[in-house]
Amino acid sequence: MRLHLDNFTKRFDGNPVIEGMNFVVEDGEMLALLGPSGCGKSTTLFAIAGIYRADGGRILFGDRDVTNLPSQRRNVGVVFQNYALYPHMSVEENIGFPLTVGRIRRDKAEVARAVREIAELIHIEELLARKPAQLSGGQQQRVALARALVRRPGILLLDEPLANLDARLRLEMRSEIRRIQLETGITAILVTHDQVEAMSMCDRVAIMERGRILQIGPPTELYRAPVNRFVAGFLGNPPIVFLEGRTAGQGSFAMDQGLHLPLPPRLRGLPADRPISLGIRPEHFGTGGTAQATGRVTFVEPQGRETLFDIETAPGVILRSVQPAREDVGVGDIVTWPIDVDNLLAFDAEGTRL
Amino acid sequence: MLSPALILLACFYFAPVALTTAFAFTDMSTATGIGTGAYVITPNTLRGLQDEGLPEDVAAQVMAETYIVDRAGLDAAVAAGMDEGFVADISARLTGRAYDSARDFIRALRELPNAPRSPRAITAAAEIFGRSALNRRFETREELAEALAIATPEGAIETREQLLDASYTGAVFTTENFRRLATQRETGRVLLNTLFYVSATLAIFNVGLALFLAITLFYLPKGLMGVFGTLWLLPRITPLVLYAILWKWFTWEGGFLPILAEQVGLPSFNYMKGSVVTAWITMISLNGFIGASFGLILFSGALRTIPMQQLWASEVDGATRWQQVRRIILPQMRWPILFVTTYQTMSLLASYAEIWLTTNGGPGRTTTVWALEAFRTALFNYSGNLEYGLGSAMALMLVIVGFALSLVYLRLFRFDELVTRPRIEF
Ligand SMILES: Nc1ncnc2c1ncn2[C@@H]1O[C@H](COP(=O)(O)OP(=O)(O)OP(=O)(O)O)[C@@H](O)[C@H]1O
Ligand SMILES: [Mg+2]
Repeated sequence: MRLHLDNFTKRFDGNPVIEGMNFVVEDGEMLALLGPSGCGKSTTLFAIAGIYRADGGRILFGDRDVTNLPSQRRNVGVVFQNYALYPHMSVEENIGFPLTVGRIRRDKAEVARAVREIAELIHIEELLARKPAQLSGGQQQRVALARALVRRPGILLLDEPLANLDARLRLEMRSEIRRIQLETGITAILVTHDQVEAMSMCDRVAIMERGRILQIGPPTELYRAPVNRFVAGFLGNPPIVFLEGRTAGQGSFAMDQGLHLPLPPRLRGLPADRPISLGIRPEHFGTGGTAQATGRVTFVEPQGRETLFDIETAPGVILRSVQPAREDVGVGDIVTWPIDVDNLLAFDAEGTRL
Repeated sequence: MLSPALILLACFYFAPVALTTAFAFTDMSTATGIGTGAYVITPNTLRGLQDEGLPEDVAAQVMAETYIVDRAGLDAAVAAGMDEGFVADISARLTGRAYDSARDFIRALRELPNAPRSPRAITAAAEIFGRSALNRRFETREELAEALAIATPEGAIETREQLLDASYTGAVFTTENFRRLATQRETGRVLLNTLFYVSATLAIFNVGLALFLAITLFYLPKGLMGVFGTLWLLPRITPLVLYAILWKWFTWEGGFLPILAEQVGLPSFNYMKGSVVTAWITMISLNGFIGASFGLILFSGALRTIPMQQLWASEVDGATRWQQVRRIILPQMRWPILFVTTYQTMSLLASYAEIWLTTNGGPGRTTTVWALEAFRTALFNYSGNLEYGLGSAMALMLVIVGFALSLVYLRLFRFDELVTRPRIEF
């Protein structure tokens, strides 16, 4: 089911938390709401679920305006961050709960069949008799997912579903949730502050900051063409390095500390002496390109497959480089490495990408 | 470190129970006193023993007066201020003699030279030498045994023992209290009253109303809780006497409710004591309002420990308000409900002051409950004979019933399921 937020606004005690938010999630699509803590991700999600009332704008499920519908009648599935399983019910009762409440009366056999079906999809058939307290975090996560899906909701909402899991389990559940979403073809929103999660699981990512969506698009687009400094800095690990300086003659960039770099061809026309900041992602330094930078290695961090380097190219100016694992360079060495000028990002004084 | 706690525990918790248990097996009362008693045979004692088969002749012998002239008697006569010449006569002529009847002895006295003129004085003199076992107070069992040996020289030993036992005025150990409670018709009635009182107050007010209010307030804005919590605490913190007066003012003829009823044409009378039904309603409500605040506060606290997300989840899952309460909230309130039920059952079982100050078990004895009856038996009644032993037996029954009930509750609420394995393993 298509989801449309139209000028949605939410205030708490008069303080606007979300102001005039607009986005569409297409039928069967999975969208990530990505942003730092407190930016309003959960608030948006809970408003879609009907837990919070909207203070302005509309929420549309397909063509249906659900803005004033209570959560009971929206038919959405929600997985809460701490799973919110009912501690006094067995797993089977937890999953079956949405089918035994509400106005529609279903007989026991029908509920049992639906529970079994969803349990098979989520691979938790053998846990049905247990109580939530007897499950591991990952298992609780699966049960919460099963409970959210058992009613075949129009929209699945996930609020940081992986935040409480360990690294391995997070990896496993990442692909599990995506598999289940693709198999059921359900429209889904994933709230997260983990960029890897957002980029690896979702068709599109919406980056939020202080109640606004800065950019929404496929993960690669956000990564390659961020609209502003915030997005560029938020995505990428290790993060992008920003260099503050000015445009100089012949389409080049100069820093007060003495570093000079050419600008990418599309930005050569910029007028001289404009303050800009240049963003260099670590993978674009030291792996190939037309320009070069020389500096002293100040830090080496081997990460197995890759190695991270910090290079001081001018006093106080540190460039970061990530390269396939290599051991021939150590701290203190002077290196001259290429810079991939075509992929440099430039931002104006307001932080908008040029 | 532990011993002060143990001593306190022993003093304030076990000692009352132990003493109550001990007293429950005695016939202690105002008549026996709480110290050691003396030995007195009264005509009543004899009559009672005769019903149990005391031989007629022994009873007659004990009852018969005996007069012996001896040193002790003479000393007593001097001490009583009798004419010295008369005493000298008695001493000289009658010392060592014994008489079986007052008539014979008086005749003997009258024949003495210094005998007084008035028959009254002679009778008084005779009495000083009287040695009857009847109506005389002996400090020890041996003294009475001696007197009996003189009175009924040929009485059987066990008969004498029987007399000695029966004559003791102090408390003795007996299971009579429990036999009385078990056979008395009144017991069943008071038991039924108690059962009705406790279960109705618990169900309607202490758990029912408290739970209803707690859940209602849970869904209302936060500030209301504080206001309501305090409001509902008022009955508990109001001095009992004031509270009782308030209820009297509320329900007596000329009071608030009867006047209101009169205005709208409903029967108007003293609701507190005027009819059985209204007396019950008054008694249950006035106790209920005291107890409801306890449950309200406890339940409100327990409600706030249910994670908000669980309630959101249930709404998103499609549960209506009522389904949310019944399927999510109430099952998680099992422990506080058990606690309040158990605790309040105990307080209601033991409470009598509120009832005593209001309906006082009336009209008649229709609202008399066990604790009130025990209180009246042991500590406060109009006949003046306070039966400590019987009262203790009744109190002991309360303790036993309370203990048994808490075990039943634990089973009923499946306590074993509530206590899961400890999260911290040793
Ligand atoms: N019930 C509430 N009352 C008042 N303010 C609230 C309430 N819930 C959230 N807020 C505020 O709204 C803002 C957004 O909160 P929200 O929970 O949506 O953040 P979030 O993006 O989910 O953050 P996180 O990643 O930490 O979960 C925060 O500044 C928060 O303080
Ligand atoms: Mg959140």
